[in-house]
Amino acid sequence: MGTYIAKRVLQFIPVFLGVTIILFVLQNVVPGDPIRLITGGRAVPEQTEEIMRINNHLIQVDENGKALRDENGEYIPTSLVDRYFNYMNKLFHGDLGTSYQKKVSVTSIFAQKYPYTVRLAACAIALEAIMGIGAGVLSAIKRYSFWDILVTLFTSIMVAIPAFWLGMLLQWFFGILMKQWTGGAFSMPISGAGGPSSPYYDWMHYILPAFTLAAVSTAYTARIMRSQLLDVMNQDYIRTAKAKGLSKRDIIVHHALKNALIPVVTYIGIDFGGMLAGAILTETVFNWPGVGYEIYRAITARDWPIVMGGVTIIVVVVMVINLIVDVSYAFLDPRIRLGSSKNEG
Amino acid sequence: MAEFMNKPMGRRAFVGGALATGVLGVLAGCGQKGNPSAAGSTSGEGASGGTLRYYINNPVSIDPYNLMEDQGTQVGFQLFDSLTQYDFEKGEIKALACDSWEVNDDATEFTFHLKEGTTFHNGDTVVAADWKRGWERILNPETNPESPSGIGYHLAMVDGYDAFTAGEADELTGVTCPDDNTLVVKLAYSYADFPYVASHPALVPVPEVALEDFQTFFLSPIGNGPFKMDGNWEDGQYINIVRYDDYYGDKAILDGVNFVIQKDVETAYREFQAGNLDVCDVPATQIPDARETYGESEDGYTATPDHQLLLGGEPSTYYLTINCAQAPWDNVKFRQAVSMAINREAICEEVFHGTRTPADNIVPPGIAGYEEGVWPYCKFDQDAAKALLEEIYPDGNYPTITLTYNQDGGHKEIMDVVMASLKEVGIEAEADTNEWATILNRYSSGDYEIGRCGWVADYPIMDNFMYPLFFSTSGDNYSQIGDDAIDAALLEARATIDDDERIAKYQKLDAELGEQCWMIPLMFYTHTTVVGDNVAKFYLDPQKKADMSKTELVSA
Amino acid sequence: MKYPKPIPEAGTVTMHTVSKATTGDGASRTLWGDAWKRLRRNKLAVIAVIWIVLVAIIALTCDLWAQQLLGDPLYASTAEMSKNTLLAPSLEHPFGTDVTGRDILCRVIYGSRISLSVGIIATAISTAIGLVMGALAAYYGGIFDTIIMRLADIFLAFPYTLFVIAMIAVIGNGIQNVFIAIGILGWPSIARVFRSAILSVKENDYVDAARAMGASDVRIVARHIFPNSVASIVVYATMNIGSAILTEAALSYLGMGVTPPQPSWGAMIQEGQTFLTTAPWMMIMPGLAILTTVLAFTLLGDGLRDALDVKMKDA
Repeated sequence: MGTYIAKRVLQFIPVFLGVTIILFVLQNVVPGDPIRLITGGRAVPEQTEEIMRINNHLIQVDENGKALRDENGEYIPTSLVDRYFNYMNKLFHGDLGTSYQKKVSVTSIFAQKYPYTVRLAACAIALEAIMGIGAGVLSAIKRYSFWDILVTLFTSIMVAIPAFWLGMLLQWFFGILMKQWTGGAFSMPISGAGGPSSPYYDWMHYILPAFTLAAVSTAYTARIMRSQLLDVMNQDYIRTAKAKGLSKRDIIVHHALKNALIPVVTYIGIDFGGMLAGAILTETVFNWPGVGYEIYRAITARDWPIVMGGVTIIVVVVMVINLIVDVSYAFLDPRIRLGSSKNEG
Repeated sequence: MAEFMNKPMGRRAFVGGALATGVLGVLAGCGQKGNPSAAGSTSGEGASGGTLRYYINNPVSIDPYNLMEDQGTQVGFQLFDSLTQYDFEKGEIKALACDSWEVNDDATEFTFHLKEGTTFHNGDTVVAADWKRGWERILNPETNPESPSGIGYHLAMVDGYDAFTAGEADELTGVTCPDDNTLVVKLAYSYADFPYVASHPALVPVPEVALEDFQTFFLSPIGNGPFKMDGNWEDGQYINIVRYDDYYGDKAILDGVNFVIQKDVETAYREFQAGNLDVCDVPATQIPDARETYGESEDGYTATPDHQLLLGGEPSTYYLTINCAQAPWDNVKFRQAVSMAINREAICEEVFHGTRTPADNIVPPGIAGYEEGVWPYCKFDQDAAKALLEEIYPDGNYPTITLTYNQDGGHKEIMDVVMASLKEVGIEAEADTNEWATILNRYSSGDYEIGRCGWVADYPIMDNFMYPLFFSTSGDNYSQIGDDAIDAALLEARATIDDDERIAKYQKLDAELGEQCWMIPLMFYTHTTVVGDNVAKFYLDPQKKADMSKTELVSA
Repeated sequence: MKYPKPIPEAGTVTMHTVSKATTGDGASRTLWGDAWKRLRRNKLAVIAVIWIVLVAIIALTCDLWAQQLLGDPLYASTAEMSKNTLLAPSLEHPFGTDVTGRDILCRVIYGSRISLSVGIIATAISTAIGLVMGALAAYYGGIFDTIIMRLADIFLAFPYTLFVIAMIAVIGNGIQNVFIAIGILGWPSIARVFRSAILSVKENDYVDAARAMGASDVRIVARHIFPNSVASIVVYATMNIGSAILTEAALSYLGMGVTPPQPSWGAMIQEGQTFLTTAPWMMIMPGLAILTTVLAFTLLGDGLRDALDVKMKDA
């Protein structure tokens, strides 16, 4: 087990480096001078600009921290490689830089945003697990029934629905129509995460975004649950149990379900990692103060430190979650670690 | 800076301090959590003044350090008082956090006599050194080494600015404090309008703690204004402020204000309709409906029950900026032809339902010195436009032009009409859409042909429309103008001490600039703000500064 | 491990019975003939094919009739704007009109061009890149395999939507760039599918035989390996079209896709968002168009997978 974990961690390193390099290159090939992005497009006095360039590690300096100049009196830009090492060095000291426009540290921005993303993801995962597993089991044990067809049809639709559109439909129905029908007595909040100025309880703010975020994954969970349960029911030991005269209910609850659940739980685990990457569309539609919307906003505003820092955090979080999922899966199912450990996604 | 507006719905205000309208009312209402139907109620504890829920977009900053756009400025106004403020009713600049000021003969030295006994929200007494500290904090490159403030240029005329911002001097030598209640500002050149600059909401005092921990102060600034922070700015969610009871001036009636942060005006307006906001902007498309539902305010600035929709004019201009250094735009006749080809009335009527007015000058009405129709080519005249084009291009081969703009904020519809107008005189226009941050970058480096822009003054004077846009070395000279005569005329006007004489000089220059058609003014902005049924009285000045300290709610 | 993996047994009851029935079907010798027969018996897949063909015909021919029937999809007449704006669905305007008085059905019809072309072009790009990468990795193995698969890991480690948006931010807005971004970022999944498909046929005798006869590597891949893994590629590409359409819709919704006033379903939903309270049809109609079209491609993909028995070949 130890070697397996070590191997997985080692695999993570090149991927992590690759991700940071790609991001770094993207950021540096985008047209536009970082100084102009920081000052909102306007020119600043030359000396101020020099200080900014030095502080942002854009030009080379001598040992006294003064800017170096070439024979024409021009600044000597730092090389891309040099900038990258500078970035990674700061990263390992827990410094993700300072936002161009927000003026505060990237770490503090995400310290504020991440809890909202985590809480929303947790709600969505709970919904996904309950609804997905429930629907999957129902459709497997009542195979070919009306319910099976209903679940299958519903999951197909959920996979094809644009998440942002689903979010808007929910807003329209629960936020607007519901309010009209009940004469204002009942409705659901349609934007934001609550707080003192909201007339709703804070928890109510989670409902619609969580459903929107969970929709697609619920469909996948239900499909995997269904096929796994059907697979397991065809296994020899289940047939044996049947032959022994155990009730169908007993077989499903005590034998089949336990084994069929392993891949489903794995899928949910990996999906949780994905949700922790933030959900740009759901967060945009519901004005949710999470990491996905923040990074999207930063991309459109060319606030590169937030993009860099945010994606770096996300990639680490997602990979750690995947690692945990893989390891626990290997722990539950010894065949995995004995066989190929190559992740074939 | 005069902010280039990104969103037509979110605009800024400029003058500092509390003024205007008086009224009374009382009130409150205890909003019940979980009872969404309680439209119009507030979530305060039901004490005397109640809490106003006010829509803003996520600000860039609420700390004077980087207070630049209308959204953050609205909060900054409530937290801080600057030295002066502009009184729109009287049309003059007057003292706010000072008692009076004097100017020397050549307009290079200003002496401000500060009000005594004013305090910061943490209880510290405000002295002259706090003002100096506040101003220096914006300029000092060490305040936030990686990401300096973007608004330091407001003080560019102060003596010692260059040395201090370059990190060569330890202090801003042009600002001195002979005693605790006197602030002396020495300028590097004559600039008679400096008291207007001093009305900028970022030019305020900060207490000593501001220098200790940048981040804490940035999220929860401590000021000298009528309201103080209640907790931190929750990025993307809300900013709550409460009345500061030891305020030196008239204390606010409201208990506090919740600035509710929404990502766009459409979402915000839905929340407003659902009764979750008290003050909100109206999307252009919903204006006719809002007129009917809420009733229009009589003066456009004061809202009372049944007259809840504010449509008063704002001294700001929506225009097309032109890269005049590049063909075909280096030909003044081509610029004039394009300017006359655009149907400004159609935009104002069809897109804005008559709330905005067609522009006939880069300087908007409401600014002292504005004259009607001094930009002769700001009129819709297709025949004249066609005649000019035929004169320039006798072969009929008109160039295809590229129009740069950002799609968000309702600019799409406006640009559709502009392109349709150009097509009618035979000019093909291609859309070049991008994000606003990128566009700004391209404007300033001259990497565009013609593009959308908005100009909102920082201080309501003609100079703020002319110097930044037309002076050759200004950071906002997107037209790439480099004309010594214009530069000389601007500097001369700035040094003129007599108000009328100075304005006359700007007016003369304005007419000359209009003839050259350096840019194409399209329309003047107006408020499109609406207040809820529970607001008894609310005043929004032309520059969109809400007078929270006089705002009152209806008793529930 | 293979999660998320192609969804097992995605179709309905018909499909399960079909699979069983076809095991004994030996009338047609060819793979495609067999598959077609099986597909024809899958009612959902047939409906999906009909829908896709219908949308394709509409997209190809709309220039000939849509404007005459429904008006200009780009610019509405300014003169009649005030009387035409925000009309609810009616006989004259089956999907209603938008704020500038344009007919929404007409815009949905023209929007189908964007969606279909994004789906097909982006998928073609990612399939092409994926095939080359997958072939290199599987056929040569060793260091090629390690590098390419690690590169695929890196691409997949990015949150997908963020990656596409960042890519657009770098290369600029506009529909061509959307094609390119979605196309380029889609290759890793295809490469993996193709790689495992090749690995499974590579060791077959006929490949060895070809090699022994001195056939070049390119020839072996093109003549022997590709035809035998084409089934899984077709299934994967079909499903990929659906997800490319969804991604384009999301990008246009965020304002990074088509240049206005060109209609795109995602952009129309974004326009409609403003009128959720007063004109919900503006948002609902283009959404339904996306839903049905993507659903059709998903169902067709499911049907093809069962018909071509891809899973069996894969194993």
